[in-house]
Amino acid sequence: MTLAHKRLRVARRRATIMAMASHARLPLDLSLPQGVKPRRWMPVLASGLSIGEYARSLVRRLAFLSAVLVAAIWALDGRGYFWPAWAWLGLGDLVLLDFAAGWAWRQPSGAVRRVACVWAVVGAAATILVCTWLLTWLLAGDQSFWPTWALLGLATTGSGYSLMALHDRVLVAHGRRALRARVDLLTRTRRQAVDAQAVELRRIERDLHDGAQARLVALTLQLGRAELRVQDQPELRGLILDAQREAHHAIAELRDLARGIVPPLLADRGLVAAVESLAARYGLGTAITAEVQRGLAPAIESAAYFVIAEALTNTVKHAHAQRSWVVLCDEQRTLAVTVGDDGVGGADPQGSGLAGLRARVEALDGSLRVHSPAGEGTVLEVRLPCG
Amino acid sequence: MRVVIAEDLALLREGLVALLRENDIDVVAQVEDGPGLLRALAGHEPDLAIVDVRLPPSYSDEGILAAIEARRSRPALGVLVLSQYVETAYASELIGDDTAGIGYLLKERVGDVKAFLDALHTVAAGGTVLDRQVVAELLAPRDGAEAPWGWTAREREVLALMAEGRSNAAIAESLVVTPGAVEKHITNIFAKLELPVCDEDHRRVLAVLAYLRVAR
Repeated sequence: MTLAHKRLRVARRRATIMAMASHARLPLDLSLPQGVKPRRWMPVLASGLSIGEYARSLVRRLAFLSAVLVAAIWALDGRGYFWPAWAWLGLGDLVLLDFAAGWAWRQPSGAVRRVACVWAVVGAAATILVCTWLLTWLLAGDQSFWPTWALLGLATTGSGYSLMALHDRVLVAHGRRALRARVDLLTRTRRQAVDAQAVELRRIERDLHDGAQARLVALTLQLGRAELRVQDQPELRGLILDAQREAHHAIAELRDLARGIVPPLLADRGLVAAVESLAARYGLGTAITAEVQRGLAPAIESAAYFVIAEALTNTVKHAHAQRSWVVLCDEQRTLAVTVGDDGVGGADPQGSGLAGLRARVEALDGSLRVHSPAGEGTVLEVRLPCG
Repeated sequence: MRVVIAEDLALLREGLVALLRENDIDVVAQVEDGPGLLRALAGHEPDLAIVDVRLPPSYSDEGILAAIEARRSRPALGVLVLSQYVETAYASELIGDDTAGIGYLLKERVGDVKAFLDALHTVAAGGTVLDRQVVAELLAPRDGAEAPWGWTAREREVLALMAEGRSNAAIAESLVVTPGAVEKHITNIFAKLELPVCDEDHRRVLAVLAYLRVAR
């Protein structure tokens, strides 16, 4: 055995290992030994083929060899009836199926590949049928071309199937387009509704402030002036003071109502100032990091504010935390809000407070995550798309 | 006393003007917005400006900004800010580093005419008046959190009334206790805030401010 032969055997073994390695996606680098040129029968070395592809190329080569072999046997056997045609047909079918499978597999995965597989099977079956009929007719030496009728039947079936498939495809595509348009429309109008609601709520708050509240203040002022004039009539003075007390209660109730709609500092100075004031009021020494431009939509601002307020309330009530922090970050069309503490953790993500927040956030197509393992603090993460 | 009023709601502005005039206070100008206030101050040299927080054109914190600006340009001017809600952040900003001649009251306090007029005079004379709500909000024990420095409810009430510029006698009357009891509470408050010994009036202001600083 010459040196070149040895090298070739080594190369073949390495090629097999590499094929297996590439199939298993191992980080192996097996190149040919120096001085050995890659040969046509080393398909595996071409570009790290997988074991499946190696097997397929082997099948193709074996089919070709067998075709030549049966022809040779027929020639040596004294010719006569050309039976190798049937062997060729069988081998050709193998190659055809392999080709069809390979083509289908190269299509993008998902729905396209599923359709391609159907077409590959149908196409291969039709071709095999047609070839079988033609071969039968040729070898039988019939005068009349009877496969016409078979071909006609096949063509009719094929076109019927194609028409049905086309019809389905058109319908499905149309349905999908309509569905997408509907989802787009609903998303857009829901957002418009939420935005409009937030703007409307702020208008109501302003109207309360400039309207009813201002009138009640003016009323207490007039009552105060009246009270000064009846100092010598205790009964009348008492009535006026009672009326004034009622007006004060009404003002306080309106103020609470307005604050629940939108806290004044949020309306006046935006999210960051409102959160800073909120944190100061809770006295937790909350560290606030904010990278936010003013000019968020009112709906986003309000949602973020109430999320933070609820989270800080929970921290004060339940967490027994030493440290607490709020991070507001404007990330490419998304407002990311993180509220965390180093307290006892174990918050219930399905609790009523968090469920209410989740509904509020989801109405804005946002997401809310709670990470609260027992003993490791609580982190609430909210992402609100604002593009 | 010469007063400028900055209030955008005519109903309230006219009521205020009537109230002040019948109590012998000279209303020299009435304006509707922040820039108007600054112009009126230049023209009339008043002792006191009464300013609404929400003023045109922005209807947000225009009044606070105008008041701060007015105080910067004329330190001797008394500024009383009226608001329909209490925001401790605004109180802190208004006071800044100089406590003299600052007031921050809820609007409905105008109904108690006597106390309101007292507050006007206090602020015009360089005193400090803060709404009891500001103090209440600062001192309120938070859910689950401990009240800072171990304040009693009574001490909180006394400090809130002190912040409004009330005298000991007025505080005693309002809480229905003896003046002696009020004095005892005030002594305790001073001790808890560790305030230096100095003029009594000044200490009262310091007591409120010490609290505001904590909140800042």
